[in-house]
Amino acid sequence: MKMRMDILENQPVETKRDALLEGEQTLETVTHKVSSIVFEWNKHPRAWYVSLLVAFAFLGALTVGVAWLFYKGVGVWGINIPVGWGLAIVNFEWWMAIGQSLLLLSAGLLLMRQQWRKSISRILESTAIFAVMCAGIFPILHLGRPWVFYWLMPLGPNILGLWPQFRSPLVWDVFAMSTFMVVATLYWYMGLIPDIACLRDRTKNPTVQIITGVLALGWRGSARHWRRYQTAYYIVAGLCVAMTISAYSFVSFDFAMSIIPGWHSTFLPVFYVAGAIFEGVAIALTIIIPLRAWYGLQSYITDVHIDWLSKYLLGSNMVIVYGYFAEAFYTWYGGDKYEKLVLRNQMFGHYAPLFWIMMACNLIAPLILWSPRLRRNITIVFIVSIFVNLGMWLERFISLITSLSRSYIPSTWGFYTPSIWEIAVFIGSIGLFLFLMCLFVRFIPLMSLTELKTLLANDEGGKNHSR
Amino acid sequence: MDHEISKKLEGKSGVEFWRSLEELADTEEFRTYLTEEFPRQSRPLSLEIDRRRFLILMGGALAMAGLTGCRFLPQQKIVPYVNSPEDVVPGLPLYYATGTTLSGYGVGLVATSNMGRPIKIDGNSKHPSSLGGSDPITQASILNMYDPDRSQTVTNQGRKSDWKSFTDAMSNQLSAYSVSGGEGMRLLTETVASPTLKAQIDDFLKLYPNARWHQYEPINRDSERAGGLIAYGRDVHPVYHFDKADRILSIGADFLGTMAGHTRYALDFANGRRLRTGSSRMNRLYCVESSPTITGAMADHKLALKPSDLYHFALGLASKMGVISQSIALPTSIASWVEAVMKDMVQFHGKSAVVIGDEQPPEMHALGYAMNEALGSFGKTLDLINPIQEGYEDHVKSLKSLTDDMMSGKVSALFIVGGNPAYNAPSNIDFSAVLTKLSTAKNLTVHLSNYRDETSILCQWHIPETHFLEAWGDTRGHDGTLTPIQPLIQPLFDSHSAYELLSVLSGKSMGGYDIVHDQWKSMLRTDHFETDFNLALNDGLVRNSSYAPLKLALRNGWEKEIHLNLFYPAGELEVLFRSDPSAWDGDYGNNSWMQELPKPISKIVWDNPIYVSPNTARKLEVAENDVVSLSLQGRTVTGPISVTPGHADGCVTLFLGYGRTKGGKVCEGRGYNAYLLRSSQAMWQSGGLSITNTGGTHQLVSVRVHYSMEGRDVAHMGTLAQFLLNPQLVGEQTVHENNPGTSLNPQKRGVKSDEYAWAMSIDTNVCVGCNACVTACQAENNIPVVGREQVALGREMHWIRIDTYYNGAPENPNMVFEPIPCMQCEDAPCEPVCPVGATVHSKDGLNQQVYNRCVGTRYCSHNCPYKVRRFNFYKYSAGQPNHAPGEYDNPIMQLLANPDVTIRGRGVMEKCTYCVQRINRAKINAQLQDREVRDGEIVTACQSACPTKAIVFGNLNDPNSGVSQLKAEPQDFSLLGELNTRPRTTYLPRVRNVNPEIPPSMGV
Repeated sequence: MKMRMDILENQPVETKRDALLEGEQTLETVTHKVSSIVFEWNKHPRAWYVSLLVAFAFLGALTVGVAWLFYKGVGVWGINIPVGWGLAIVNFEWWMAIGQSLLLLSAGLLLMRQQWRKSISRILESTAIFAVMCAGIFPILHLGRPWVFYWLMPLGPNILGLWPQFRSPLVWDVFAMSTFMVVATLYWYMGLIPDIACLRDRTKNPTVQIITGVLALGWRGSARHWRRYQTAYYIVAGLCVAMTISAYSFVSFDFAMSIIPGWHSTFLPVFYVAGAIFEGVAIALTIIIPLRAWYGLQSYITDVHIDWLSKYLLGSNMVIVYGYFAEAFYTWYGGDKYEKLVLRNQMFGHYAPLFWIMMACNLIAPLILWSPRLRRNITIVFIVSIFVNLGMWLERFISLITSLSRSYIPSTWGFYTPSIWEIAVFIGSIGLFLFLMCLFVRFIPLMSLTELKTLLANDEGGKNHSR
Repeated sequence: MDHEISKKLEGKSGVEFWRSLEELADTEEFRTYLTEEFPRQSRPLSLEIDRRRFLILMGGALAMAGLTGCRFLPQQKIVPYVNSPEDVVPGLPLYYATGTTLSGYGVGLVATSNMGRPIKIDGNSKHPSSLGGSDPITQASILNMYDPDRSQTVTNQGRKSDWKSFTDAMSNQLSAYSVSGGEGMRLLTETVASPTLKAQIDDFLKLYPNARWHQYEPINRDSERAGGLIAYGRDVHPVYHFDKADRILSIGADFLGTMAGHTRYALDFANGRRLRTGSSRMNRLYCVESSPTITGAMADHKLALKPSDLYHFALGLASKMGVISQSIALPTSIASWVEAVMKDMVQFHGKSAVVIGDEQPPEMHALGYAMNEALGSFGKTLDLINPIQEGYEDHVKSLKSLTDDMMSGKVSALFIVGGNPAYNAPSNIDFSAVLTKLSTAKNLTVHLSNYRDETSILCQWHIPETHFLEAWGDTRGHDGTLTPIQPLIQPLFDSHSAYELLSVLSGKSMGGYDIVHDQWKSMLRTDHFETDFNLALNDGLVRNSSYAPLKLALRNGWEKEIHLNLFYPAGELEVLFRSDPSAWDGDYGNNSWMQELPKPISKIVWDNPIYVSPNTARKLEVAENDVVSLSLQGRTVTGPISVTPGHADGCVTLFLGYGRTKGGKVCEGRGYNAYLLRSSQAMWQSGGLSITNTGGTHQLVSVRVHYSMEGRDVAHMGTLAQFLLNPQLVGEQTVHENNPGTSLNPQKRGVKSDEYAWAMSIDTNVCVGCNACVTACQAENNIPVVGREQVALGREMHWIRIDTYYNGAPENPNMVFEPIPCMQCEDAPCEPVCPVGATVHSKDGLNQQVYNRCVGTRYCSHNCPYKVRRFNFYKYSAGQPNHAPGEYDNPIMQLLANPDVTIRGRGVMEKCTYCVQRINRAKINAQLQDREVRDGEIVTACQSACPTKAIVFGNLNDPNSGVSQLKAEPQDFSLLGELNTRPRTTYLPRVRNVNPEIPPSMGV
C-alpha cells in the first residue's frame, strides 16, 4: 500500500452514510480524540473507574484463590480421578481461543485489506495479548507442583540436566504460547510505533517525552520509514495468521493426541480453530460495544463495524453448526461404541443441561443476527455476543469434562463439580483481563492513529499539503 | 486462713497482686515453702565479696565449667550395632512366624521385620488356616499396633498410672480375696483359643475357687455350639475340605469371607475350579443367603431369601432329602430350584458339602449335619472336630449371668480381659449401666484392652493391651493346629498381655515368654522340648497338631428339637446382624486402612450402611442415602439406607462395629450402632422390625457409582459349557472386536530375550473379591489414607482396586470381581503425554513413575484407559488436608513405613509398580549368586496376600514360568485389548458352572 502523505491538513472531510468514519473528521480531530483519551486521564468516564474497581475486586479473588491453592495444594479444586483437569484447563482454552482468534482477525483482515479493521485493530490486538496472558496463568496453577513449572521449558541439559519430553502435547503448548506471545507482541508493538511517536510529539510532560521517545524507536515518519514499516508489518501479519492457526491447533492437540473417547479425533483442531474464531468475534463485540459507548467513539467505530463483526459472527456460526453436525455424523458413521457413548452422554447425561444451554447459545442465539434490522440494534448484538461467550465457554467445559468423566472402564466413571477456589481463579482471570484493559485504555492509544488517518486519505483523495 | 487474709488486707491500699491465697496470707508455711522451692530468690546473693572469696568462687566456677566437658551421658539405651544382633543385615528384612486370633480362631502369620520394626503381615504358607493367603483384616492388623490412638498408659480412675502401681495395688487388694477363696471375683474374657491362657485361668480358679470365669464376644459360636448339642449332644466344630467337594451348597454361610478358616477355604474352593487347558474340573457352588456376600457373588447359582424363608428352605431341602420325617411344602417359586439342587448334590454323594453359616439358628446347623450325613460328606468333604476353643460356654448366657450377679451385688472384683462389652453387649443386657454402678461403688474393676474404649472408661483400672506382635502367646487354627504367637518388637507403650495380667492375678508376675514357654513344656511333653519349641516358633505351628476328626452319630430324637418355625416377634420385616467387612465387630473400627477399604460389593467406605433390596426399598419408599429409623422391640437405631442388588426381599441387614463413642478418633461418631437393636434372643436375626423414613439423608461414600458394564468388553464371563466347547468362546462376542489386527506401524520395541519381561496374570474365575490384595498393597507401598471426604471427591489412593460388575436382574444379579492393578502396558498411553518424562519404561517392561520428576499435570491419568493412576491432590502422606488418620508424619506411624518405598509428597502421580522393590531385591540376590531370577522368587504384595492364588507374577520371557503358561491359555484376555496398549497384566475369564436343570430365570 502506498502511503498518502498529502492529506495531513486540517480540512474537514465530508463523510457518507455507512462510512467507516462519521461526522466531520480531520486529521486534527482524529489525533485529538484518540490522544486525548491518553493525555486527559482525569476525563475518563465513570465506567473506567468502575471497571478498575471491579478489576481490583476480582484481582483480590485471584490473589486469595492462588494463595490458598499454593498453600494447600491443588486438592482445593474440585478435580479428581478421572477428571483431573477442571475449570483451569477450560479457562485456559477459552482465553487462548480469544487471544488466538482476535489476533487472527486483526492480521487476517489486514492481509485481506479490509478497511473496517483500521479503527478496531488496536483493540483486537491488545485484547488478544491480554487474553493470552490470562490464559498463561492456568497451566502453571493447575500443576501439582507449580513451583517447578519451568521443567516444561526447553532449558536444556545445561540448566536442568534434562530436556522436557518433546512428544507431549503439553510441551507443544509451551512452544505455542511462547511463540504466540513473541509474535503477537511484535505485531502489536509495530502497529504502535508511529502512534507512540505521535504521543511523543504532542506531550508536554518531559517524563512522558522520554518514555515515549525511547519506545518510538526514533520514528520520524519519513517516507523511507513508512515504506519499510509497511513491508515489515505485512510480513509479521502473515506470520501472525499462520502462527495463530497453528498455535490454537496445538492447544487442541492436548486433547486430540490423547486416546480418550471424544477427544481422540483428527477433526478436533479444525473444529477448535473455527470455534475460536466464533468466540473471538463475539468477544470483540462484547468489548468494543461498551468501549465505543463510554468513550464516545461512535464516529470512529461506526454501526458499519458492528455490522461487519456481526456478519463474521454469523459466518463462523455456520462453520460451528457444520462442526457439530459433522461431529455427530462421524461419531455415528465411525461406529465406535465409546465415541457414541460420549455423544449420548453429552446430550442426555449428567451434564446434558449444560449441553443444551450451549446449543442454544452457540447455534440458536446468533441466528437472530440474520435479520439486518436486529443486527443494527447494538443492544441485541451485545446480548448475542454475551451468549456466544458463554456458549463457547460451555463448549470447552463440555468437551473436556464429559469425555473425562466417562471414559473406557465404567467402574472408573466419576463426576466433576468445580470448587469455589477454581471459580475464584476464573473470576480472578477476568479481573486480570479487565485490569489490563483499563491500563491499556489509560496509557495506549485505543485506536491506531496511523490507520485511521489512511481512512481519511482514502475517502478524500487528498490534497497536496504538508505540515 | 481466711481470717489471716482479711487481717493482712486491712490497712493496705492500692493494687496488690497475688498469686495464691497462701502468698497473700504470707504465712510461715508459705515462706518455708518458698525457700525450699526457690532457694535463690529467697536468699539474695551477698554482694560483699573480698578478693579471696572472689578467687575461690571463680576458681570453682572454672573447674565446674571444665567438668561439663566430661559429664555423664544420660542412661539411655542406644543401639549402635557395634555388635550386630544375629541375622540382622541393615536394609534386609527378616521374617518371623507368628499368629493372631480373630473372634476365637487362630491364624498363622509371617511378619516382616525391617531393622527391628515389623512392617508387614502375611499368611503363613505352612499354616493350615491360611496356606500363605490372608484377608484384609489380617493385612491391616499391623496398623493397629502403630495406631497413634492406641491406649498408651495404665490409668487408674482416669488418671495416669503405671504397671508397677497396678501390680502393687493388686497384691494389696487380692490378698483380701485369698481368704474368701475369691468370693465376688469375676473374670470376663473373650473367646479363649489360647491353651496357655486357659491353663492360667484354671490356675486362677484353683487359687480362688469361689471366683467365676465368664466369656463374651459379640461374634461367637453360640449357634454352632447349640446346633452341635441338638445333633450330637455335644459341642462340635465342622472343618470343610472344599478341594474335595464338587458340589457345595452354602446356606447363609460366607465361607469365603468371614467364616472361621475362610482364608483356607477360599484356597480350597478355588483349587476346585481352576480351569486350565486339559483340566476342566470345576466345582459348582449353590448359595442361598439373605444378605449379599462374596460367597454369594462367587456362586454359580444363587438364591436370595429372607432369614425365615432361608430356614424354610433348609427344612424343605432336608425333608426332600429325607433326613427329617416331616414333609415341608416349599413355595412353588423355589421348589424346582430346590429339586434341581438336591438332585445335583445327591448325585455327587461323598463329593458334596452343605455349609451352614455361623449366624444361622442352631436348628439349621443340626439340619446341616443331618444333610451332610445323608450326602456322605463326613470324612470326605467335611470333618467334625472338638471345638478348638478352650472351655467354650454359651457367651450370651455367660454374660447374662455375670450381669445378674453384678446387679445383685455378688460381684466385688471384675477383671475384663480384652473385649468391649460395654459397647457390644446385647442391648437387653444392660452391661454398661451395671458396670458403671459396680465401679462407682468402689469395687475393683480392671479392663485390659488395646484402646481406651467404652468399657475402659467405666472401669477403675485400664491396662493397655499388647498387640500380638508385641507379646508372647499361643492360639489354635480353625482345625485345631497349635500356633505360637511370638513378638517381633518390645511393646511400644506401657502395654501388657492377657497372660501377664492373669499371671499378676495369680500372684506370680511372670513375663510373657516364661508363661508360654513353661506352659508349652508341660503341654508338649516331648523329649527334646527346646528343639521342638524352637521348631514350632520357626514354623509358626506345631506340626500335625490339628484335631482328629470325630466319629459321631446323630443323636436319637434330635429331630424333635427342630421347630418348624423360628421364634420371631410378629412383624413382616426381618432384620439381620452381620459383622462389618471393615470394622468387624468394632475391633477394627479405628483402623483407617480398613475404614478406607471399599467394602466388598457395595464399595462403601467409612460408614456402615443399612442394606435393603431394590424391591423392598420400593415397597418401603426409601431410597439410597435416606436416613431411616429402625425399631425392634422398643429399641431404635437410625442409619442410612443402601439399596443393594442381590439382597433378599423383606429384610434389612445391619452391620456391627460402628457407632462408637470412645476408642479413637477414627471410629468415634462414625455410623450407627447396630448393637442397640441386637438382643440376647436375636443375636443374628429377628422379625418384627419396623422402619420409618426420618426424611433426612446421609451421603454414603462409595468409591464408584457404576455397576453396569454398559455393554463393554471389560470383564469376560461365560459358562463352563462354552469353555469346554472352545475356551476362546468365553466372552466370545467381543473377541473379534478385541483383535487390534495388523498394525500399519509395526512396533520396533520388542522384548529382548536376555531381559526379564515382568508380567501378571489374574484369574477372575477364582478371584473372590475379598480385598486382601488392596490392603496388602496399602501396607507394602506406604499408601496413605485420605479420609471420607476425599474419597467422596474421587481421590482414593489404592494402587489396586477390585472392580465389581453386575449383570442380570437387580433382584438377583451375577457378579464378577476384577482386580485392577497397573496394566504395565508395553505401549503405555501415559508415557508419551508426560511433558517432563516422569513416567518412562524400563527395560524389563515396567511402566515406571519417577516421583521427583513429576510436576503433576495429571495428563498421564487422563490418557490411562484403565485409570489406575492415583494423584496426591494434597500431601496425603502427612495427613492433609484434614488430619486424615494414617499420616506418615506421625513418629509412630513412621515406624510402619516400608523403607524400600518412597513416601510420596504433594502434587505427584503414583501407581502400581509391580512391587518394584521386591523385583529389585530378587534381582540383586540373583546377581550375587550369579544366576537368573527363578520363577516364583518374586512375589508381589497383592499376589502373596491373595488367598486363592488368583494373581500370578513372573517373567514372560521364560516360557516355563507360571505366568507364561497362564498367558498361553486360549481364554487369556487383555483388558481393552482393542486399544493396542499391549498390557502386561492380562486376565482369565470368569466361568460359571451352570446347572442346566435350573431355568436361567431362577436365580441365574
